[in-house]
Amino acid sequence: MDLAPVLDGFAVVLEPTNLLYCLIGVVVGMLVGVLPGLGPAATIAILLPITIGIEPVTAIIMLAGIFYGAQYGGTITSVLLKLPGEASSVVTVFDGYAMARQGRAGTALGIAAIGSFAGGTISIVALSFLAPLVASFALDFGPPEYTALALLGILLVATVSSGSRLKAVVAACVGLLLATVGRDGFTATERFTFGNLNLADGLDFVPIAMGLFGLGEILYNLEQRHNATQAPTKVANVWPSRQDLRQSSGAIGRGSVIGFLLGILPGGGATLSSLAAYAVEKRRSKTPERFGKGAVEGVAGPETANNAAATSSFIPLLTLGIPANATMAVIFGALLVVGVTPGPQLVTEEPELFWGVVNSMYIGNILLLIMSIPLVGLFVKILRVRPAILAPITVLITLIGVYTVNNSVFDIVLVIVFGVLGYLMKKAGFDPGPLLLAFVLGALLEDGLRRSLLIFDGDATGFFTRPISGTLLVVFLLVAVYPFVATLRSRRRQEPAQDTSDPNTKELV
Amino acid sequence: MTTNHRARRWALSGAGLTLALTLTACGGNVGGGSDSEEEFPGGDPITMLVGQDPGGSTDLIARAAADGLSDELGVPVTVENRPGANGALAAQQLAGEDPDGHTLMVYNGSLAYITPLAVGEGEAPDIADFDIVTGLSLDDYVLVTAPGSGFGTVEDLAAAGRPITFGTTGVGTGSQLSQELLFAQADIDATAVPFDGGSPTLTAVLGGQVDVGSVQLGEAIEQIESGGLTPIVTFAEERPSYLPDTPTAVEAGYDVPVQQSRAVFAPQGVPDDVMQTLRDGFEAAFETEAYQQLNEDNLLTPLEVDGEEIRERWTENLDNYRAVVEEYGIDLGGDA
Repeated sequence: MDLAPVLDGFAVVLEPTNLLYCLIGVVVGMLVGVLPGLGPAATIAILLPITIGIEPVTAIIMLAGIFYGAQYGGTITSVLLKLPGEASSVVTVFDGYAMARQGRAGTALGIAAIGSFAGGTISIVALSFLAPLVASFALDFGPPEYTALALLGILLVATVSSGSRLKAVVAACVGLLLATVGRDGFTATERFTFGNLNLADGLDFVPIAMGLFGLGEILYNLEQRHNATQAPTKVANVWPSRQDLRQSSGAIGRGSVIGFLLGILPGGGATLSSLAAYAVEKRRSKTPERFGKGAVEGVAGPETANNAAATSSFIPLLTLGIPANATMAVIFGALLVVGVTPGPQLVTEEPELFWGVVNSMYIGNILLLIMSIPLVGLFVKILRVRPAILAPITVLITLIGVYTVNNSVFDIVLVIVFGVLGYLMKKAGFDPGPLLLAFVLGALLEDGLRRSLLIFDGDATGFFTRPISGTLLVVFLLVAVYPFVATLRSRRRQEPAQDTSDPNTKELV
Repeated sequence: MTTNHRARRWALSGAGLTLALTLTACGGNVGGGSDSEEEFPGGDPITMLVGQDPGGSTDLIARAAADGLSDELGVPVTVENRPGANGALAAQQLAGEDPDGHTLMVYNGSLAYITPLAVGEGEAPDIADFDIVTGLSLDDYVLVTAPGSGFGTVEDLAAAGRPITFGTTGVGTGSQLSQELLFAQADIDATAVPFDGGSPTLTAVLGGQVDVGSVQLGEAIEQIESGGLTPIVTFAEERPSYLPDTPTAVEAGYDVPVQQSRAVFAPQGVPDDVMQTLRDGFEAAFETEAYQQLNEDNLLTPLEVDGEEIRERWTENLDNYRAVVEEYGIDLGGDA
């Protein structure tokens, strides 16, 4: 492995501007992580327009910081208020809040921060080795491979997500349909444009993301009454004891691996991996009855995993241009806004951007560790900000912001339309994540399929004779069949299905 | 109570920061170097529309020309990107503006003489509805292949003994037209595979996903010079100075000059004196070192001719292409 670009990446990170934006990113991430309501996808969506004026690498460093920063911040409210700030911190509530009631809130937060740091860092190292490897196959990725990947991605989005599977499939189908709007890229025929030139290039990704996640979430949160008036538990003694560390070191190790692996999968990500890590810890433990009553491993495992997953979910995006989850889809949009097409060529053509962003995560994680342990009290105070003040400001920023991207009033209308849609979806229990992902992947799928068939001269067996697309399609079939097999097996064992969905789950990350 | 205050201050400073960042995102030469009073007809700023995304060649040209023009006329000239429908959205907006010379647009030739062949009636704007200030430059297309493909000339492609695939940068682009015309005239059985812009097209050619592709010279030159791509022909009328050793399609025996061309448009009815001031302003802008450097860096061939000459050339192009496309039964839209 050639280390020169990696070192150049550090030089990029250490530029004062980039350090500053990294700091801004992680602070904002930490803030939105603490605030129940505004999630990282929403925040990044709202902030998309400000990326136009700054260097691409700087912009992405900041947006990435918001994403993994939110994983740290989400823990705080889970532990102190039993309110998960982030969907990925939902399981932390079980043992974290129990620990807080035993007066060990500090320990829970400390272990979570250390676990997050370890998981994040291990994941970055693994990413540094894996991403160039994937990218070395870049030129072998042609239209057939993208078709297979997109197909797999859509399937995973619909089946692996937490919450109702049927609703996820419905949302994904709407996303696929929305992706067909616009002038057909192969025949120039107008599709669903109703003669409106604004729709000729299809629906733009940015206003959809800003509407669904930004505006939709603000509207939804205004309606929700978060009972945040209760005084947060006093946080003392953040440094975990040696015994706590010994007890949770195994959980941190396993959480890193689980998080890293699940983060790469399309549809996986932080939420799923935190659930998986919790389940693994509980199953492995010799004293599973402690779980839910303040087991430190029950905090360490999921918190490590969600941060490891947050980092590894950058791999499919930065190497293949395939977003693994909703937040990555928004960052995908951000890359397009700054004029960078994420894909196999990114590592070799834009090494400074790639390694700058990857290496900035080391710095970001260190900053977050500092903020999480000594400065935790400061962030707890953020909980007192009233939504009535925050919401109008955010709406205004969203609407001004979307206009500045394309100087288009039509986009403002789009944001409002999709904002209302996002609000209604959330109200009806639909996660907007699969819709957005399917929207992105749908365009990839259609274009890839049609290009492939042109190349194959209409012969669809070509998909199976190429090694990469063939393998991917076999994986696709396995994933498609697996749920049926699993249901059959569990029915035979007559195990009650474990319900992990939580009404507090705000978004699928 | 103190904590409450502090928290609120946090929130407000956060919002302020975001707003400040949003504002810094708007840049340009506004406010700089335009303290003189009333130079260009009135001191109002000029808006230059661009129908493409920021960062592309059209955008870069517009920004370089805007800077030169601003210095010359003493008013701010801001570039406003209004991407969509190959630039038709920006053209639509331009047509609705007052013809007072304060709204201009960098107009792509492809929108005038290629897009109309691909899209339905009335979906592409008509250049007769605009005044043309001045021509800007020409951008050349080059047909490239990966060195491993074994192709080096158009004859090689004809002798492939199998149908070939060619990547285009999209439907209704010069990339598509140039290759469709060449292969029709050379009687080569070829299938168009449209990609989404120059970079994905190049990736597909490099990876051997398609046999050949036609992209703008500036996008391919680095790979050509490093030997990563083999140029087969350019679609210029004469060999571009930037690629002197590659024959043009015309030299190779085919009548297919296809170039991207750019010009400055204004809404119809700009008063003569205002038009003259604008033309003088652009002429001065073309003389600046920064603008000439931009042409050189992006391998653009200057075509700083009178607006009416542009109109003649572009109309002639459209008529020619329409005739050839009909003659060979090429359907740029349709079943590509």
